[in-house]
Amino acid sequence: MTVWLAVVLGGIATYLTRVTPLVVSVPGAPPPALRRYLDALPIAIIAALAGAGIALPDAEPTHGAELLAGALAFAVAYWRKDLLVAMIVGVIAVALLRAGGL
Amino acid sequence: MRRGTDVIERSPARLALSEGWPVLITSVVVGTTYGVLARQSGLGLLETSASSLLIFAGAAQFAALELLKGGASAGEIAVAVLLINARHLLMAAAIRPFVARASLARRLGLAYVLTDEAFALGIGWFRRPRRELAYYATFGVALWACWNVATIVGSLVGSSFEHPERFGVDFAITAVFIAIVATSVRHRTDLIVAAASALVAAALKLAGASTLAVVIAGAVAPLLALRLRQR
Repeated sequence: MTVWLAVVLGGIATYLTRVTPLVVSVPGAPPPALRRYLDALPIAIIAALAGAGIALPDAEPTHGAELLAGALAFAVAYWRKDLLVAMIVGVIAVALLRAGGL
Repeated sequence: MRRGTDVIERSPARLALSEGWPVLITSVVVGTTYGVLARQSGLGLLETSASSLLIFAGAAQFAALELLKGGASAGEIAVAVLLINARHLLMAAAIRPFVARASLARRLGLAYVLTDEAFALGIGWFRRPRRELAYYATFGVALWACWNVATIVGSLVGSSFEHPERFGVDFAITAVFIAIVATSVRHRTDLIVAAASALVAAALKLAGASTLAVVIAGAVAPLLALRLRQR
């Protein structure tokens, strides 16, 4: 039930962000400060989720396997610009590091 | 009648596909990944497909999965999704002048397929300057189709994995978040905001905070961007 409600509410919220400026006339451009805030918002929230996931993974507590694998995934994503490759490298790295006792 | 111009100059719809195909392939890859991870997080095929149909926004959908796993309520997830997708307000405002003359029904449809990718390609088209909406509309619908089909495929494939935690798959969503940050950093301010946000979130999480607290901390971090740019 939570899933369906989340999907419907999340869907409505998202559609409103897409449609409002196209059907409601807003006088003038948004103020620069608001523009910069909204611009930086997604990367900040996703980074927060990444930080939380590294700090407290779902698996048993480890000794830095997630931090090392995370750094590796970041480097791969930065150079290759490829989400899937970065994810696979991150997952394999964390599995190897955990198996190695980190 | 000047014959031959049609041959030389391809239609906006065909141009949208020939210029946008690398982005479409990426969306298939990421959409499949989302489907697999959604299935691993306990979502059924219908729930997974509905999330891609109704929300249709990659980063927000991955974040919703993480929040669900953490036991967040539907309202909390909707708030997080709203915050992550608030950027659409800016993008929609930017394309507004180009779609202003379209009928209301068309604008409702064009809004539905507004994504980071469609915005990037569409605004590039409008600035050439070309006025045809077919370019933006075709790419938007193509991306929508790729994302939704890929989600279904991923969900079906994802059900065949068992005991994912043994293979480090629990780390996959975190790795996706890291990759999204790494691929969307545009300048130094982005990097500083992302680093600050990740560190504060890590500290909060270690102190026992909920995932929603983490999202809210993330929503505060961009205020740093305002400070940095003022100097």
